[in-house]
Amino acid sequence: MLEPELEIHPKEKILRKKKNQEKVDLVKAILLDSFFIFYTILVLQRAIYYKVILDLRELPFSWYEIGFIAIVSVLIGIIWGYSRTSLGAKIMGLAKETKFAKLSSEIFAWTLFNLTFIAGWLVTKISLIDLFSAEGIEGANRIFYALFTPEFGIFDDALFAIIETIYLALIATLLSIPPTLILSFLTARNLMKDHWYTFSIYYILRIILNFVRSIEPLIWAIIFSVWVGIGPFAGMIALLVHTIAANAKLYSEAIESIEEGPVDAIAATGANKLQIIWYAVIPQIVLPFLSFTIYRWDINVRMATVIGLVGGGGIGTMLMQYQGLAQWHEVGLIVIMIAIVVWIMDYISAKIREAIY
Amino acid sequence: MSSNVIVEVRNLHKVYPSGTHALKGVSLDVYEGEFLVVIGLSGSGKTTLLKCINRLEEPTAGTVKFLGKDITHIKGKELREVRTHIGMVFQQFNLIKRMTVLNNVLAGKLGYMKTLPSILGNFPQECIDEAMKNLDIVGIREYAYERADKLSGGQQQRVAIARSLMQSPKLLLADEPVASLDPATSNSIMQYFEKVNKELGVTVVCNLHFLSLVRRYATRVIALKAGEIVFEGLPHEINEEWFKKIYGEEAEEVEIR
Repeated sequence: MLEPELEIHPKEKILRKKKNQEKVDLVKAILLDSFFIFYTILVLQRAIYYKVILDLRELPFSWYEIGFIAIVSVLIGIIWGYSRTSLGAKIMGLAKETKFAKLSSEIFAWTLFNLTFIAGWLVTKISLIDLFSAEGIEGANRIFYALFTPEFGIFDDALFAIIETIYLALIATLLSIPPTLILSFLTARNLMKDHWYTFSIYYILRIILNFVRSIEPLIWAIIFSVWVGIGPFAGMIALLVHTIAANAKLYSEAIESIEEGPVDAIAATGANKLQIIWYAVIPQIVLPFLSFTIYRWDINVRMATVIGLVGGGGIGTMLMQYQGLAQWHEVGLIVIMIAIVVWIMDYISAKIREAIY
Repeated sequence: MSSNVIVEVRNLHKVYPSGTHALKGVSLDVYEGEFLVVIGLSGSGKTTLLKCINRLEEPTAGTVKFLGKDITHIKGKELREVRTHIGMVFQQFNLIKRMTVLNNVLAGKLGYMKTLPSILGNFPQECIDEAMKNLDIVGIREYAYERADKLSGGQQQRVAIARSLMQSPKLLLADEPVASLDPATSNSIMQYFEKVNKELGVTVVCNLHFLSLVRRYATRVIALKAGEIVFEGLPHEINEEWFKKIYGEEAEEVEIR
């Protein structure tokens, strides 16, 4: 007696889903179009009209103006998107198959690209005159001459500082491993999607990690040099924090891209979640994890030199001191030493990664 | 052959999140001791049907009963308990490549073990003896300490069979177990399934492509087409007409010996 009901059930589900998806896509298309139009008008007005045509030095700014442009853009976006002839509709796969729809979205896409390129050119103030002026070339000559005639008197100091940098990077990398491991499992979509509570953990951790990762190690070094004082410790924590966030993403992506087959096979034996992870997931990710970690040590040595610039200790701090005193010969020695160490690290880490695969 | 029903599937539907309607009201019984073969084109729902029986997939509608118990929507510990009685062998073997053959076989016992000892690899001696015995059954005892990915395809599939035997299964599901093997090896693998079925008395449900293998090993055949059962009967009943019906008008039977 229940059978007819059961048979309608899944088909209806599909249909309802399709309709909902189309509605959501249309809203997305309209939002996209509104944004594109808003962007086009703003760039045309501010970069082309104010800067090039009127050649204003200070650009006038008012929220009313921007608000007005936004409203106009949304209105055009709604009309254009709803007619399904717009670029947004095309991107969301809703566009009509008419000539007009094709032409209008293609022309608009080209306009967007060219406008962006022109605006970018204006914003970066590209100037061949500055690059090839006599004064500029003379300054460049002076610095290059000094850099290539390094002062070897500070060699022992520099050597000590660069060893400090290598250790700092190593400790940051090693300490990052346990927290990264735990976080990577908690931020792997395929392991966390099954229940709403694991999925919310996944989601929240992802947001936090994205935020941490988007802040450069340089900024973290500034924060921690205020927190724990200037020196290698601050630099190490800065690298540690960024390494955890960056590697957790790489690790979790490695977990997400494992073969599902062995997972199914182990699950089919009646194994529980931990057993599945231990037997079917971990053997597949050991190598990528090792490889990422070694590569990260290499990256961290390079970053440690930069972090030294803001007081993170090591060779970077030393570089910063001599640069401040304009002692370019000393700077030259330090730069050459950094280059050699980075080159060696690069070579070693590549060799190790090759060997374990 | 006794006629006890081991699996009872009623009006089973499966709709994947992508919208694919893989099974459309499938009903069937699997009897204890039989060698049931499921045939049909790729994408006809064969794999989904097997995965609904050991609940690697959750059915959208309908019921699945295993030994009289409704398992359609069970979860957690209850589900794992049921799974320990159902072995599964896959087309791609799905071994843990970096582990030894022996450890792969021992993994079949995971459902019976406590978490900590199984993670530490502390398998009791009788488990190891049992694993060796099962490797004997499939004739690859001498490879026990090799890495699994060092073995050939046919040997890997034999390891997979030994792994499923560790579960002392009441039912063995085989999802196109010979589809990635050459014809000669296919036949030898099928003989191991026959051995498991006849000598150990394990019920087998097997997805197959080649009709010659079906005629040789099946005791009963079911054909799926676009998620529905279009044929149910004995292997010799599949004649040319039925074949075209199942595989489409242009299909031609390929022999495999």
